[in-house]
Amino acid sequence: MPMNILPWDLGAIPSRFFLFGEAAWYTVQITGLGVLLGLVIGLLVALGRLSTNKPLSAVARAYIFLIRGTPLLVQLFIVYYGLTSVVTIAPIPSAVIALGVHNGAYIAEIFRGSIQSIHYGQMEAARSLGMPKGKAMRRIILPQAFKRAVPSLGNQLIIALKDSSLASTIAVPELMLRGRQMGSSTFMYMEMFVIVGIWYLLMTSVLSYVIHRIETRLKVSDRD
Amino acid sequence: MTDTNTQKKPIKKKETIDPNAPFLRIEKLNKFYGDLHVLKNISLSVKKGEVVVIIGASGSGKSTLLRCVNFLEKTKNGKIYIEGKRIRNQEKQLNKVRQELGMVFQHFNLFPHMTVVQNVMEGLVQVKGLHKEKARERALDLLEQVGLSDKAEIYPSMLSGGQKQRVAIARALAMDPKIMLFDEPTSALDPELVGEVLTVMTDLAKQGMTMLVVTHEMWFAKEVADRVIFMDDGIILEEAPPEKMFSAPEHERTLEFLKQVLPPQSD
Repeated sequence: MPMNILPWDLGAIPSRFFLFGEAAWYTVQITGLGVLLGLVIGLLVALGRLSTNKPLSAVARAYIFLIRGTPLLVQLFIVYYGLTSVVTIAPIPSAVIALGVHNGAYIAEIFRGSIQSIHYGQMEAARSLGMPKGKAMRRIILPQAFKRAVPSLGNQLIIALKDSSLASTIAVPELMLRGRQMGSSTFMYMEMFVIVGIWYLLMTSVLSYVIHRIETRLKVSDRD
Repeated sequence: MTDTNTQKKPIKKKETIDPNAPFLRIEKLNKFYGDLHVLKNISLSVKKGEVVVIIGASGSGKSTLLRCVNFLEKTKNGKIYIEGKRIRNQEKQLNKVRQELGMVFQHFNLFPHMTVVQNVMEGLVQVKGLHKEKARERALDLLEQVGLSDKAEIYPSMLSGGQKQRVAIARALAMDPKIMLFDEPTSALDPELVGEVLTVMTDLAKQGMTMLVVTHEMWFAKEVADRVIFMDDGIILEEAPPEKMFSAPEHERTLEFLKQVLPPQSD
């Protein structure tokens, strides 16, 4: 049997594969909620950054500077361990908050870029109808900017999904932690982490497909 | 409702009651881009129902002047009056005033994420607060007026340049403006599409719309304008009825410009 040449029990991969289902669901949940929070933070920070209000713009800039310049793992530990003297946050909410705060900074830059990419004539046309600035932003600029942001947001979502593996360090029972536990209890580390890898690959593939579908769908109003 | 903003001080109140005032009056307007002095002490009036066409070489400041009228370009140096009322660079007042100033851009600036009819409805619903069905009815009427009823439900990207500009005109008209500002409305169009836009503009003029038009279409200036203004290097060099402007301009510079833009057989 050629399989015996390898030092691993590859048969364990299909047989244990679905023992990771629950953990994968945790990964999906913390990623989903984290990115959702990141979208809210990102939009607010992007608008703050673009605001003519100088202090507001400075705060937004500082946020992006601090969050983008430090590792997610540090942010995660600050939320989970660092804040304990003030407030104790459970592992899962900690992971969601850290992912949200972290992705918020990147998403802010994605939104800022896409908002700025909308031709100034759009704002002028809206304002020349007598539309106040905020409404013009909401009705005219943002819908177009969101559409342009979709590919980059999709990219960020995939990064966030993989980054969520760091939550294993604060005992969130997600895929990576499950892999470590299964590895140490069976001593089949290679097999278990291959399973973990396949799960991530499956999820990122589904995301890529969905993002692609959304992009195609949004093309209705464009000709080319 | 419209003049509540400006009536806090008695001085301004005096400005609002002048029945003989021209519809639009620009007084000693200056505009700088850094050190570049693009508008030099411009004064200009447009009467109700008048069609004024501004011509001149590119870079002469004619588009900037038009954009200053509805404060898309802002300048502290100069005064603008609409129906005798001073317009100030103040958000609330501008949002009101801009509804009365329909603006048509060189590059149309239609909203690409909305269908044609939604483009025309947008101001009515979002600014004037009209009910959606009412707004839609009005929008369809306007689209019929510019000959595009059959395009109501498609997106702007499916239209030709001329059609886009006609939609843009309908969108501006939807706000019931008292004056229409046209900023080189045909400059971005293929030659064969210019006619359809000029036809719509000519119809508007015939209906008595007050218009301030920046254009390179000398035919339009000749046939439709009540008054033609020639701008050169940030000043109004010459101002005359079209017959005079095109047959006997006073300045050498005007003649030179007209020679370049008019076909040779035109005298």
